[in-house]
Amino acid sequence: MEYIASTLTFTGIALIGVLGVYMVTGLTGLFSFGQAAFLAIGAYVSAVLFKNLGFPLPLAALVAMLVGLAAGLLVGLPTVRLRRDYISLVTFGFGEAIIAVLNNTANITGGAMGLSGVPQRTSFLLVLASVIVCVAIVVSYKNSKYGRQCLALRNDELAAKSMGINVERLKLVTFLIASVMTSFAGVLYVFYTTYVEPGAFGWVISAEWMIIVFVGGVNSLTGAVVATVLLTGLPEFLRFASEWRIAIYCIIVLLILNFRPSGIFGEHEISLRFLRRLFRKGDSAE
Amino acid sequence: MTPQLLINGISLGSVYALIAVGFALIFNILKFSNFSHGGLMSVTAYIGYVACVFLGHYIKDLPLFVVTLVAAALGGGLLALVVERVAFRRLRNSNSSVIYYFISSITMGILMENSITIFASSNFYSYPSFFPASVIRFGALSVAIPDLLTFLFSAAALVILLVVLFRTKIGLAIRSTSFDTSTAKLMGMDPNRVVAATFFASGVLGGVAGVFLGINYTLYPQLGQLIVKGFVASVIGGLGSISGALIGAVLLGVVEIFLIGLVGAGWSPVVIFVIMLVFLLLRPRGISGVIVQEKA
Repeated sequence: MEYIASTLTFTGIALIGVLGVYMVTGLTGLFSFGQAAFLAIGAYVSAVLFKNLGFPLPLAALVAMLVGLAAGLLVGLPTVRLRRDYISLVTFGFGEAIIAVLNNTANITGGAMGLSGVPQRTSFLLVLASVIVCVAIVVSYKNSKYGRQCLALRNDELAAKSMGINVERLKLVTFLIASVMTSFAGVLYVFYTTYVEPGAFGWVISAEWMIIVFVGGVNSLTGAVVATVLLTGLPEFLRFASEWRIAIYCIIVLLILNFRPSGIFGEHEISLRFLRRLFRKGDSAE
Repeated sequence: MTPQLLINGISLGSVYALIAVGFALIFNILKFSNFSHGGLMSVTAYIGYVACVFLGHYIKDLPLFVVTLVAAALGGGLLALVVERVAFRRLRNSNSSVIYYFISSITMGILMENSITIFASSNFYSYPSFFPASVIRFGALSVAIPDLLTFLFSAAALVILLVVLFRTKIGLAIRSTSFDTSTAKLMGMDPNRVVAATFFASGVLGGVAGVFLGINYTLYPQLGQLIVKGFVASVIGGLGSISGALIGAVLLGVVEIFLIGLVGAGWSPVVIFVIMLVFLLLRPRGISGVIVQEKA
């Protein structure tokens, strides 16, 4: 039971990270290799504030998210004006820089040895509640004016611009929301594992999240959620050759890209209206 | 002291130039950032190592080094052809949106890195030392032989590439296809062949770079992540510009060597990241000043 609960908790934390990637990559078509670095920022800032400076947990979490926001601004401001390649290249460097900072401030962060002795405060219910809140945020963002603008921007930036969409601001806002959300996931993460080390936040984590979003479907939130549960939850239960796990994902993604480029769910969402339409179709077929 | 650092920096920068130019070639022709290049460098570093171990019984020193380089370069070129075939051919034929190229290249990069992790990560490998670690003196300056050879071989690879690009028919085809794919196609060029040739060239450069990275550091599956140096060089030089990539890479190498002396190896990625941000704020077009427009 304990084991199932811990797997579900990790899946929930990963899901929050994936939701951030979904907003940046799935909705807006930007590729950020720095999402894991935001996870690191959230984890380290909150843990250090809580453990070394005696901040109360909610305040530490809040400060961690603010630091995540500031870091997002630092990366986002120079890059949103440029072609979208720049945000990928710069976030890649950002991830490396954050890891270097963590490794070189050993007296605060523990360096490569990692930061240990953080008390466990995250429970499964807290993660579940956070996931629900984050999903609600992403759903309402997607269905709002901004979400539709993001889709327009993803498909054709020039056309979106000429329709009067402020693409630069839109990119920045989406990127910042994702940064804050991922920093929050970092807070949950560190107060669950009680131990973090810089090596756990490489670009492969960010890339893995993007792959999860793409397996689910480019623009399907349902797909992203289902893919997260399948790809991060199931292997934990099945325990099949863990080192082959990522290689198998990659092969699946390459197959999907070659033969069904819109992903498993494509652009579809499971919603009441979708279900109703499904039934109505069944009716007319009879 | 200072000219000494300058020379070391140029030698390091020439390796970065191999990475950055290999990256810029693909960017030019397909207009997307090829993240699989890093994974390719990891694999070629191991290919070079295998060749070096097998042939080490028969030849020594400089010939062995040259053979290792050639093996890794050919391996890289062929691997890049496979990557193009598996990850990008169908996308190109169906005129997919650029985000699919991104995800395909990221996936391919992780797949290559992960294959190395699966098959080779349990042991540590490192290249044998090909040359005695002695120095050549030019007056007051002393140049370490490995540094000198790194520079010479990287420069030779780049010069060969430039000659191919600017003096041969296939080079002309590559340049015109990067300028405008559809017009080049209308002029009777086979885009599949041109793109394959570009990937081959990029893979060859990646292969040579992989061997040098493997020599400078040890062999480990994540070696290819040093591609970030190529990214920084491209951003500084201007995305997609070959000359910009060259200048950016040499500058980066020199700055990095100076920074290591100044703030230590640990902090230098941070400082370089900040320099890159400042550069983007002040001159987003990069040194070369060409800006690649989104296609209308």
